[in-house]
Amino acid sequence: MAGLSLHSVKKRFGDTEVIAGVDLKVEEGEFVVFVGPSGCGKSTLLRMIAGLETTSSGRIEIGGADVTHVDPAKRGIAMVFQTYALYPHMTVAANMGFPLEMAGLPQTEIDAKVAEAARVLHLEPYLQRKPRELSGGQRQRVAIGRAIVRQPGVFLFDEPLSNLDAELRVQMRIEIARLHQQLGATMIYVTHDQVEAMTLASRIVVLRAGRIEQVGAPLELYHNPDNSFVGGFIGSPRMNFVKARIIRRTDEGIELSAPATGLAKLIAQPRGASPGEGTEVTLGIRPEHFVAAKGSDATLAGQVSVVERLGGVTYVHASLGDGTMITVETRDDKGFGEGADARFGIDGSKVFMFDADGQRI
Amino acid sequence: MKRTWPQSIALFGGLGLLAAVIGLPFWWVASGSIKVPREIISRVPTMVPHSFTLQHFEKLLQSTDFPGYLLNSMVVALFSTAFTIALALPAAYAFFRMEFPGRAALYRVILLAYAFPSVVVLIPIYGLFARLGLIDTRIGLVIVNIAFALPFSIWMMRSFLASVPREIEEAAVIDGAPPRVILLRILTPLIAPGIASVSIFTFIASWTEYLFASVLIVSDAKRTIPVGFAGIIGQYQIDWGLLLAGATAATIPVVILFAFVGRWFVSGLTEGAVK
Repeated sequence: MAGLSLHSVKKRFGDTEVIAGVDLKVEEGEFVVFVGPSGCGKSTLLRMIAGLETTSSGRIEIGGADVTHVDPAKRGIAMVFQTYALYPHMTVAANMGFPLEMAGLPQTEIDAKVAEAARVLHLEPYLQRKPRELSGGQRQRVAIGRAIVRQPGVFLFDEPLSNLDAELRVQMRIEIARLHQQLGATMIYVTHDQVEAMTLASRIVVLRAGRIEQVGAPLELYHNPDNSFVGGFIGSPRMNFVKARIIRRTDEGIELSAPATGLAKLIAQPRGASPGEGTEVTLGIRPEHFVAAKGSDATLAGQVSVVERLGGVTYVHASLGDGTMITVETRDDKGFGEGADARFGIDGSKVFMFDADGQRI
Repeated sequence: MKRTWPQSIALFGGLGLLAAVIGLPFWWVASGSIKVPREIISRVPTMVPHSFTLQHFEKLLQSTDFPGYLLNSMVVALFSTAFTIALALPAAYAFFRMEFPGRAALYRVILLAYAFPSVVVLIPIYGLFARLGLIDTRIGLVIVNIAFALPFSIWMMRSFLASVPREIEEAAVIDGAPPRVILLRILTPLIAPGIASVSIFTFIASWTEYLFASVLIVSDAKRTIPVGFAGIIGQYQIDWGLLLAGATAATIPVVILFAFVGRWFVSGLTEGAVK
């Protein structure tokens, strides 16, 4: 078990900078998840930590030692790939024992460690099988087993569940969480699936265009996003964004309105200094934070386009007067009809405000 | 898409015609080798033998130097194949994975070996081999065969290496495997079909090579089948039965090779690795 530090880490491919100076400290035993849209650099950053990509500048430390230019095998890491990357011509036992064999361990010790990892991962009946004789979930468990036997300081997971079907993904997610509790190891996990991020992470690192947008505990990012990108990325369905204008500052907060969307008056609380009257802002409203309209001024008016009834909850997709599309979560599965006009109440205490650059106000 | 009857007829008719063009000469040679001499040269050729005899094979093995030629060809072809693979594999891996100046240019340049007809380089090679004492040696033939088979083998092997998912190699790197181990223990088993293809290509090229074998080998005892065979065709008469029996016997090792390496031509060798 080891901690990890990234100091101004950059990666360039020719003139293109894909990782633009990342600083991050991961404590021993933490489960850190890198999330971000495709092409944000999350997998590249993970591969740089693994040593599979060179680092253009900056420093990577694992367990306090500078490993920036150290061979992958000597960094004290193990990696689980999205595509499993098992050796197809070797048995499960040989796959799991291969890193130990390379480390020069005697066969008896290799057998003992492989048996222990197989026990932890419930792979004992499959040790003599080849990867092609296993299911997707079993193959991924073998890949995890190959990582476990090395007892690395840091486990790296590169979208390990992406190739699995939905049901198996849930099952494996629970297994990975259990494994983290059991081993207490430092784990860095890359995913674009925010459910995985929210359920597995001690801390989430949100990346965009090679930069860290925000680092924090899952609920901290959900309740307190630093900018509209993080607000939009964390939370499902996605946060709604509506343009509004600051009317005045009051003792209760900032009064806003957006006539084009039917919003007559909304009092919201800024996080920091309040901008001046007349400033254009973007309101961030999570679908689950809409309330019943009940004749309040803090409502949005729109035309319902699609209603998705999932049983427990219903998602109403509506188009506002200015063309903005919003998604509203409701328990009322009969109150909204497609094509009908509707009003959606806003709880001012749960509204986020962002400036023109997307930074939280 | 379902085929219509006329399409099926055209397809199978075309395939049958191609099979006949390729297969009939072989059938002619093989069936001719067991016919009595009179039937072989009869005015009306017979597709299905009316007679059966092994006299030509008996004569081939007892009255000619064919067993010696066969042995020489075997030795030359097997060593040529083994060394070509042993050299092509690491060379292809180097071209595929290692970074070194001029890699792309060198990779293209090696195919220049095929730009010149072999007869053009025959005299320089003869001169070179004469100085090195390699004239009338099987080693000389092996070297020539390797030199001509290697460029294409490297190209072929490299494309097979490129078909192995990169993550498998990266997993091996993280597991601490050095390049030699990655090549021999991880990649080589996964590109077995490529190795089989290169083996067959090199073996057949060596087995049938005539030009260099006819010039570089002087003594009859060291001749390979193609050259030795030419001696069977006499100046004034041709023993067709003997010739056909020799041709049939000469194809047997190639058939055995195909049967032996054919099992490596299996699809889905990397199945289970990355999906």
